[in-house]
Amino acid sequence: MKKILLIIPAYNEAGNIEKVISGLKGEYDYIIANDGSIDDTVKICRERNYNILDIPINLGLAGAFQTALQYAYEKGYDYAIQFDGDGQHRSEYINGMMKFAEEEKYNIVIGSRFIAEKKPLNPRMIGSRLISALIKIVTGVKIQDSTSGMRLFDRSVMKRMAYEANMAPEPDTIAYLIKCGAKVGEYPVEMGGREFGESYLNFANSIKYMWRICFSILLLHAVRERKEL
Amino acid sequence: MSVELCALLIIGSVLFGIYVLRKIRYSKFKIDDSIFWICFSFILILISIFPGVLTVGAKKLGVISPVNFVFLIVIFLLLLKIFLLSRKVSELEDKLKRLVQKIAKENVMEEDKS
Repeated sequence: MKKILLIIPAYNEAGNIEKVISGLKGEYDYIIANDGSIDDTVKICRERNYNILDIPINLGLAGAFQTALQYAYEKGYDYAIQFDGDGQHRSEYINGMMKFAEEEKYNIVIGSRFIAEKKPLNPRMIGSRLISALIKIVTGVKIQDSTSGMRLFDRSVMKRMAYEANMAPEPDTIAYLIKCGAKVGEYPVEMGGREFGESYLNFANSIKYMWRICFSILLLHAVRERKEL
Repeated sequence: MSVELCALLIIGSVLFGIYVLRKIRYSKFKIDDSIFWICFSFILILISIFPGVLTVGAKKLGVISPVNFVFLIVIFLLLLKIFLLSRKVSELEDKLKRLVQKIAKENVMEEDKS
C-alpha cells in the first residue's frame, strides 16, 4: 500500500481547522502547515493533538507548502496532496486520485471540477480558461481545471518542488513540470462552496495573480532550464 | 537623441535583458522579483528603438533635451525600486527579529525545564 500525506496549509484558520481534521475521520496521514498564524490555530492544534508543522514566521503559501513537502519527502511518503483547509476539498476523492495516479503512472493528478460538467461563465472561470489555453500553447497538454487547488504529486515531483526555487503550487509550476517530463492526469472531483461564492481573492489580487501566472507561463517557461524529473 | 547614444542604449538594454533572462533560466531569481527587471529592460529597449516618442514627450513637458527625459524615466523607475526594496528590507528585518526572539525564548524555556 502506497503512503500518502495530506498537506493542509493553514493561515489563521482557527475557525475551520477542527472541522477539516474531523472530516478526515483519521483515514489519512496529514500535516497542517501552519504558516505563522497569529490567531489560535496553533493552540487548537496542540490541544487536540493534531499533527502540525509550526512555521514560526509567515512564509506565504508557497513557502509553507514547500516546507511540508520537504517533510513528506524526508518521511518517505509516496504521494503528497494539497488539501485546502477551508472545506473546499473533500477527502472522499483522495483514494481515487491516488489509485488513478498509481495505475496510469501519472506524476501529477489534478482534482478537476470540469471533466463531466462545463465550466460556468464567470470572471474566475474565464481566468481559468485563459491559463488552460496558455498551458496548452506552451506544452501541448490540455488541462481542464488548471486552477484547481487539489493537486497530488508523486515522489519524483515532490523532490523537485521541495528543494528548488520558483516552485509555488500554482499552474505555472505545473506547466514547467510538464516541460520537465511530468505526466499530468485529471480526476473528476466535486468541491465545496467557497469556490463560487465570496472569495478571498478580491479584484485587484485576481488581476495581479493572473498577470503573474500568465507572465510566468509564457515568458519564463520558454527561458527556464529544462531538467528531467 | 544622437544615433550613437541610441545605439549605446540599444546594446546596453539588450545585454541587460539577456543577463536577466539568464539568471531566471537557472532559477537564481524569484519570478516575482524578475518581473520588474524584465519590464525595465523592455522599456529601455522600447525607448532606444523609438526615441521619437520621447522627443515628442520631452517637448510637451518642456524638457530641453530628450536625453534628459530618458534620465528622468530611469531615475523614477529606480527610485520606485529603491522604495520597494527598502520596504522589503524592513519586512525581512522584522521577520528575522521575530525568528531570533522565538529561538531565544525556546532556549531559555528549555533551560528552565532542566
